[in-house]
Amino acid sequence: MSQTLEDTGHEGLLVDRHVEYVKSLDKKHDEIEYWMTEHLRVSGVYWGAVAVHLLGRSDALDRDGIVDYILGCQNDDGGFGGHVGHDSHILYTMSAVQLLVMYDALDKVDSGKVVGYVVGLQDKATGEISGDSWGEKDTRFAFISLAILSFFDAVGEIDVAGVVRYVERSMNYDGGFGSGPGGESHAAQVFTCLAALAIAGRLDIVDRERLSGWLAERQLRSGGLNGRPQKLEDVCYSWWVLSSLKILGRTHWIDCSRLCGFILGAQDTDGGGIADRPGDVADVYHTCFGIAGLSLAGYGGYPLAEVDPVYCMPVSVIERAGLRKWVDKLPESWKQA
Amino acid sequence: MARVVDEESDEGLLLPPMSEQEEWSDVVPIPQDDGRHPVCPIAYTDEYVEMTDYFRAVMAAGEVSHRAFELSGRVIDANAAHYTAWVYRKKLIIDLGLDISEELSWVTEISRRHIKNYQLWHHRGALLVLLLDPKDVEHESQDQRVQDPAIRNELQFVSTVIEKDSKNFHAWSHRQLVVRSYGIWDQEMAFVENQINEDVRNNSAWNQRYFALTANQSADEFVLSEELADREIGYAVDKIKLAPNNESPWSYIIGLLVRHAPAMLHERLLPKINELAADTDYALAVSNTPFYWSALVDIYEERAKALEGKERSDVEAFAIEACDLLAKRYDPVRAKYWEYRKQALQAAS
Repeated sequence: MSQTLEDTGHEGLLVDRHVEYVKSLDKKHDEIEYWMTEHLRVSGVYWGAVAVHLLGRSDALDRDGIVDYILGCQNDDGGFGGHVGHDSHILYTMSAVQLLVMYDALDKVDSGKVVGYVVGLQDKATGEISGDSWGEKDTRFAFISLAILSFFDAVGEIDVAGVVRYVERSMNYDGGFGSGPGGESHAAQVFTCLAALAIAGRLDIVDRERLSGWLAERQLRSGGLNGRPQKLEDVCYSWWVLSSLKILGRTHWIDCSRLCGFILGAQDTDGGGIADRPGDVADVYHTCFGIAGLSLAGYGGYPLAEVDPVYCMPVSVIERAGLRKWVDKLPESWKQA
Repeated sequence: MARVVDEESDEGLLLPPMSEQEEWSDVVPIPQDDGRHPVCPIAYTDEYVEMTDYFRAVMAAGEVSHRAFELSGRVIDANAAHYTAWVYRKKLIIDLGLDISEELSWVTEISRRHIKNYQLWHHRGALLVLLLDPKDVEHESQDQRVQDPAIRNELQFVSTVIEKDSKNFHAWSHRQLVVRSYGIWDQEMAFVENQINEDVRNNSAWNQRYFALTANQSADEFVLSEELADREIGYAVDKIKLAPNNESPWSYIIGLLVRHAPAMLHERLLPKINELAADTDYALAVSNTPFYWSALVDIYEERAKALEGKERSDVEAFAIEACDLLAKRYDPVRAKYWEYRKQALQAAS
């Protein structure tokens, strides 16, 4: 049964409500969530900033306040914590750098220190990248290390071939990627591996058709996407799956109109924000990835800014940073079809 | 990236405020440094904020003590995603020379409430290899290693988690870490078979089957013998019989053979699945699942590569026909994908 956006019965994208929702997040001191998410506040700000940028309201958040706050999260080791006074972690270093780039303030940090922090997380023997000084390994960190270094034009500072080998070893028989060699394929890990290979200019090692087929298989009857076989659909996979298909040049292999209907159905029509699926409570993470998913899916009801599928930031920002060059590094055979 | 708020974790919050506890009278709490003066009308929030204020002070002073250790546990149990608390706790365990087995028991105890938390699993993995250095059991047989209390407990812990949530991504990945670190491959296939028997649709278990079969060797290193390939084909086809419209065994067997024994797709797998499609007990269900037709596309496409001339175009015609059926009848949602596969086949012929 085919279903179009018109007959899903949802309202369109509630732009103003979502902007107000994101703006209000910083003021909810009476809610436990505010305090319990302290350790990832930097990422929370990043998700909110991406959401309002894609909604065309980049001035909705206080730029100077954000930049000052981010700079305060940097530690002596050069990395950034999830909040002032928290240990450095590569996840939050990524969000911090992305925010500084979005707000055109990257020149305010000592690039050598950040680069040194990231370079120090690579295991020279295996090419693997750790998330922090305790050595947790994950393909997420492989992508993030390359992405952070690319912002500083310093990708050559780490052993890129080693990172690529590690990513290649994490490729599975279904064409997908897991969190490391042997790990089950998972759409979010697929995204990180593809994005890493895109920056490294090594997408040629991917089994393009098998992987695209596996990703297209993630769409369920509701129109929503799941992250693995036999799992529930979730709005955040609108990003992980569709960004992967975008890198692979295959977004048309899923039904984007039905996906838009699913995402819009997960909006909180009163308080704003988007939830993981219809009927659940909205949060900033799903708000960000829902809107980014709508942008990739070509939602026609509102002029969303175009999002870069590798960096999860507006294309205009990535162009300004001179980082759209990953598109030129796609394998030649992908450029035709 | 996981959701961070755990509403169940309310234990340890019923004590009097820390500011009224004698034990903490020498510590001046450090409030969250973001220039705000929050008003927190909810008591639960008050307690959490106070706890973290004291914890901040403890870390700022670099305090190495049992009370700091105990406090780190309370902070973690209230909010397991507080990764800085985990880092500090690990440092305390090492500096205070605490018993790692006891720590693992504590993690087991709180794990019920934080089972999808990255830090919890990473903490376990990091401590496990401190408790039992893989080098210390290298000389032992696999059977002996599995009997080591540290390894036995760890496998037991993971099994319990998987029993409750059979697709827990962290648990499977942790199980791989244990199996790989201590080289206990022989027992793993039996575990996997139990899991697939429990739920034939559990893709995590199918993935683990590949992990166990290949002993996690890279695609280049692992050699699939004919005997093993036959065994795996038989196994997958048996499981397909139980639920033909189940992506996992199809994806497993096609993926395994494409990677390690492409010639066996046509020689051995095709007769088996055609037998199934002709068997009146299964014919209807098998011919109605897109996975059957999709397998035919893969098999014929691979087969065509080994042929030339008319033989080749005949085989390609089968694959193209299967693509048409998928696009129009069995998998219309992905019609564009099948049209693309068809075009690629036509371009090759």
